[in-house]
Amino acid sequence: MKRREFLKTSIAASAAILSTTALSAGETHQPVDNRKVSNMAFPEKRPLITYSDRPPLLESPRSTFARGITENDEFFVRWHLPDIPTHIDTDSYTIKIDGLVEQDLEISLKELKNDFEQVEVTAVLQCGGNSRSAFTPIAGGIQWGSGAMGCAKWKGVRLSDLLNRAGLKKDAQWIGFNGKDNAAYYETPNFVRELELEELNDHVIIAYEMNGEDLPYLNGFPLRLVIPGYYSDSWVKMLSNITVTNKYKSLFFMDIAYRVPDNKCECETPQHHFKPTKPITNMNVKSVIGYPENGMKVYHNSHVVVRGVAFDDGHGIREVLVSVDGGKTWDEAELKQENGRYAYTEFRYAYKPTDYGKVTFMTKAINRLGDEQPFAKDIGWNHGGYKYNGIDEVTVEVV
Amino acid sequence: MKKLLLIAILFVGSLFAQVKGDVEVPYISYQIKMGKGFDAVQANCLMCHSFGYIINQGPQSRDFWAKKTEKMVTHFKAPITKEDAEIVTDYLFKYYGNGKIK
Repeated sequence: MKRREFLKTSIAASAAILSTTALSAGETHQPVDNRKVSNMAFPEKRPLITYSDRPPLLESPRSTFARGITENDEFFVRWHLPDIPTHIDTDSYTIKIDGLVEQDLEISLKELKNDFEQVEVTAVLQCGGNSRSAFTPIAGGIQWGSGAMGCAKWKGVRLSDLLNRAGLKKDAQWIGFNGKDNAAYYETPNFVRELELEELNDHVIIAYEMNGEDLPYLNGFPLRLVIPGYYSDSWVKMLSNITVTNKYKSLFFMDIAYRVPDNKCECETPQHHFKPTKPITNMNVKSVIGYPENGMKVYHNSHVVVRGVAFDDGHGIREVLVSVDGGKTWDEAELKQENGRYAYTEFRYAYKPTDYGKVTFMTKAINRLGDEQPFAKDIGWNHGGYKYNGIDEVTVEVV
Repeated sequence: MKKLLLIAILFVGSLFAQVKGDVEVPYISYQIKMGKGFDAVQANCLMCHSFGYIINQGPQSRDFWAKKTEKMVTHFKAPITKEDAEIVTDYLFKYYGNGKIK
């Protein structure tokens, strides 16, 4: 039965977590990679690695990183509040724009699709806590492996077009975004994001379509904010309200969650949390291998094609290097970049295993600024376990 | 012109037809370690979120669980009494702790 099989999965997941505590204190390592997808499928999804049903928390398996676009039904899911509308009336759904605007607006989905220029952007969506299980001691939060990320082609309208239609008043400075998810108690603060007007460029869109289909419910149907280059905590789902203000409002999810130490290494010790902190905002450079996967067997003298994806916050990937000797020497992988600078760069690397036994593939992405991925062990700890971007490793056996 | 218009309308109409009726998020029955204090966890924690949300934080210190519980009260406005917060912390540390106080 499904339930029993799921239990097995959750036991395996907790076992994986337990084993990491035995590692030497303080050293960052590869994220947990042995969790299997559950047998229980959530709405519009295939079975994924499952952490929670309320709120739904689902991780994409490693195999999804062998492709440049993540399928909608394999795309990861992360909500903050447990009460998600399970029915949306698309005829009556509106998005409201108010606050410091010349004219309050209430726009229906139909108007959104007909009265504004329709635009598309392919962009990576990654949770700030993706790969959190790499940190020791265990950082607070869901112990994600590498699969709290995906890349999709988003279609919608520019946020700036909506704001222009409403007309921003002179002193407009902050834009607040709220979605339709709710907590169990009325008193619980909503998951509201506030972004400064100057952070928001023309690439920010309000999307209703993902890879040519409606957004799945669990990815924010019918509308979500898309902020290319930013971590997903700002990509508000089931977007229903946009409020323009001149003053930053203090909010839990802005002031306390999703922040890292405001120092060069963005790191601190468990004993002394560093202050001040800053919001996680822009994504750092990262690559993840999609094929092969840890523990696979490959044949001696066969032709193995290592595949994966790399990305950053939109500066663009310059190269992806692969090492099969523990990082002593590096070789360039071939790149495929056809979806723009916010999308996954696909890489592939042909390898012929000539020695029997274990071989570890390591991948390191370098962006156009020259930022490169560090080794996992060189990444400092932060208490939220955010922004892990260590050189990825996959070990296979040549037989 | 008429034809063009029709195509445009069809295009818009083709959206929003992927889900039939309301969606239903499945209920997952987690393997829970039973012991002293679980009643308080059930009454105070599982009102708002699943057990999975707790255990998938990984094994943590007593201080971590105490602060998490406090966060639920201070930031998320969960009506947990001081007494229950203590019981919940003890339970979480005993069954999902890492053995360290801090």
